[in-house]
Amino acid sequence: MAWKRWRIEEVIHYPGSQEVEKYVYTPGIHGLELAKALREGRVLGMKCPDGVYVPPKTYCPDGSPGELVEVRGPWRVVTYTLVHQDIYGNPLPEPEALALIRPDDADYGGLIHRVRAESIYIGMEVKPRWKPPKQRSGQITDIEYFEPA
Amino acid sequence: MRPNIFVKDKVAVVGAGLTLFRRRLLETPRELAWEAARQALDSAGLTFDDIDCVVMGTAPDAFDGVHFNGEYFADVAGRNKPTVRVYVGGGTGVFVPIAAWWHVASGLCKTALAVAEEKMSPAHPHPQGVFAYIWDPILERPLGPNLIWIFAMEMRRYMHKCGATKEIIARVSVKNKRNALDHPAAQAAANITVDDVLRSELLVWPVNRLDISPVSDGAAAVVFASENEARRITDSPVWVEGIGFALDNTHWYNRELAYPRYVNYAARMAYKMAGIERPWREIDVAEPYDPFDYKELHHIEGLMLARPCEAPKLLEEDWFDRSGELPTSPSGGLLGVGNPIAAAGLMKVAEIFWQLRYEAGPRQVKKPVHYGLAQAWGDLMQVGTVIVLGN
Repeated sequence: MAWKRWRIEEVIHYPGSQEVEKYVYTPGIHGLELAKALREGRVLGMKCPDGVYVPPKTYCPDGSPGELVEVRGPWRVVTYTLVHQDIYGNPLPEPEALALIRPDDADYGGLIHRVRAESIYIGMEVKPRWKPPKQRSGQITDIEYFEPA
Repeated sequence: MRPNIFVKDKVAVVGAGLTLFRRRLLETPRELAWEAARQALDSAGLTFDDIDCVVMGTAPDAFDGVHFNGEYFADVAGRNKPTVRVYVGGGTGVFVPIAAWWHVASGLCKTALAVAEEKMSPAHPHPQGVFAYIWDPILERPLGPNLIWIFAMEMRRYMHKCGATKEIIARVSVKNKRNALDHPAAQAAANITVDDVLRSELLVWPVNRLDISPVSDGAAAVVFASENEARRITDSPVWVEGIGFALDNTHWYNRELAYPRYVNYAARMAYKMAGIERPWREIDVAEPYDPFDYKELHHIEGLMLARPCEAPKLLEEDWFDRSGELPTSPSGGLLGVGNPIAAAGLMKVAEIFWQLRYEAGPRQVKKPVHYGLAQAWGDLMQVGTVIVLGN
């Protein structure tokens, strides 16, 4: 096989992209309830035979339908990471902490979210920092970040 | 004559479930799959714990807009169980039960749940955009093809070769949409006339709007069990008598477009396993894949349920009606019930299951039924998948 270090301008090439214009996802049955709750500054979980799961997902891992419950925390860091580069490899001005955060009144799951704190450790108690009610749109980003409780 | 195939366990279908088929449903893909799976298990009197293995199918991830879509909805029943996703494009719907069959027939699993899901509505502006990327990127894509183009060319070729007119072909759409009026999950059921089809919006001649199945969200599930398990679960198991699948060459223009040879090979494989020598007499009810109306006729011929070019003539004699000699698409098919791609194929398998159990209610065909078949087709218009069931 002939091989040399080609420059893209030197070869006939066929640019292509493989995207539809956009996707419009539906939230699902319990997802819709979660979205409504986020707008009200609340987080929902799902009560299953083996415990409470966050977030709610309509059916439990054993296949039974779950029951919606509100979870109130306190929230704790289960694990975390510090992001130093963005997706293009550019260094971030400040490392950004991302964590799996589980409320004490849930047994499984949790939310993946940003944490803003001087330091972060596993087991650290945090609380959600909500956007002002008028800016909330039923998305996970209605919580701006978690901060030390 | 049955071939000498070593099958450890005879395989039965013991339950089936279906969600509504609609243009856009609130449920996520996971929830659709869960709903169908739950119904299928309920109908068999089983729970998720009774399932040994899970086989699932969905056509391109790009519709749902979730990569690894199979894995994404796998936890419906596949948590900590042997779970696999199979994929042959539009043929997936019938390939999922084929794979579930070999899970059980091999003795690997005593029970297997087959789930197929498709949510086409997330892709905007239209899911047709996803199909733009199935083409050869060098020779075909620069022309801006869409899926309907090649079907229009195949349909034209079929019309030319078999002397079928648009009026005759439109009767498939009329029949299937009418059949779907009795289907509780149907999206595109309607009482229409041949004139309505001919006068509907012309998309890519000779294909009009009502010649095509709709864009749909939906899921279907079917439960398989080994003979011993099946006898415990139900008094009226439906047996998997034969399965077949075949892949033709990649370039659709290298084939005789008027005859689906790949479907024919798949069907011959399934008939051989089932010991069926004269399918046109022995098959009592069929669900050939009908995303376009001419496709049903095309596939009826490929399945040897009619001679090549004979299907249009038989259609005119109401041969394929529910009260006819060989009812096809008694469910309403993709044209009537809807076309959430992988789920649509499995819906056809579910329909044959209900027909063979005499549980199809108002959709039950008039004649007594012993053998039925479901078929799907897909990939780059080159794969045929066939399953033959018997009671």
